[in-house]
Amino acid sequence: MAWTGRRLKNLPPSAANQERTSTIDGLLEQQKAWEAFAVCAVSIIPVLKKQMEAVTQQTERAAMDLMVHIRAMTSPATTSSPRDTSANFSKIVMAMQFQDITQQKLEHVTQALDQWHKHLQALLKGPHDVRAKQEIAALQRFEQSYTMEEERRLHAAALMPDYQEPVPMETEQTEAESDSVTLF
Amino acid sequence: MSKTALVVDDSPTMRQMVALTLSNAGFKVVEAEDGKDAVNKVAAGPKMDIVVTDLNMPEMDGITLIKELRKMAAFKFTPILMLTTESAADKKQAGKEAGATGWIVKPFNPESMLKVIAKVLPA
Repeated sequence: MAWTGRRLKNLPPSAANQERTSTIDGLLEQQKAWEAFAVCAVSIIPVLKKQMEAVTQQTERAAMDLMVHIRAMTSPATTSSPRDTSANFSKIVMAMQFQDITQQKLEHVTQALDQWHKHLQALLKGPHDVRAKQEIAALQRFEQSYTMEEERRLHAAALMPDYQEPVPMETEQTEAESDSVTLF
Repeated sequence: MSKTALVVDDSPTMRQMVALTLSNAGFKVVEAEDGKDAVNKVAAGPKMDIVVTDLNMPEMDGITLIKELRKMAAFKFTPILMLTTESAADKKQAGKEAGATGWIVKPFNPESMLKVIAKVLPA
């Protein structure tokens, strides 16, 4: 700033005014870019948090399901018919798929964080950096990376203006929902 | 003679679960880790009676794989099931247009999957 002050003193008045205006414009533009970033951060942090909470809940639910069905299959007190064993096997396989599902959900959170990181790096270079604008635009539409209805629903819930955590989660999926089949 | 199924998924756990379900039902199973691997395997391997593929995979995704398979004479009428977490209507439509026979949303129920396979497999 001292350097700028000295520099302005050495300039003719009209040039100094032009320099001042240009500096103020630059600062305002920078402020605008950081404000846009802050707005984006305020809306995205609860979304990412919600998605990660859902992963935790899902792993817990899957582990509980596995325990229940493994206990049913191995308990000496119950003599299972082949039909019961097959049903328990199906449920174990269904519960075990949490790994694939949670992996995808966490990958989407990681993608958003990566985008955020890139945006911050670009923003530090200044508001004129084209990449900053591209990265924030990508971040604002990161929900396009979702593949699951649950992710889309949680995203919408976390963006609600009166959002209070925790948003009620589905604790159990119905057979129809978890096993949806479409034949073309 | 047992039928052969091609299972394509980049998740080894998922692949094994589908493979286990199908082999318990009497299928011979060939596994591939993505679309590209699947194309290489079918080029060199036996005729497949059914294909179960994931949608989002590295190298080659499920939609591209279906399009590639449908170009091959041996796969013109082979049932191909998409097995994915994706349930959006536009994605399903893309799968249908590519030539998928059906769409199963994960998590899959092994009993239901076998029923669907029985329905789509030619007698």
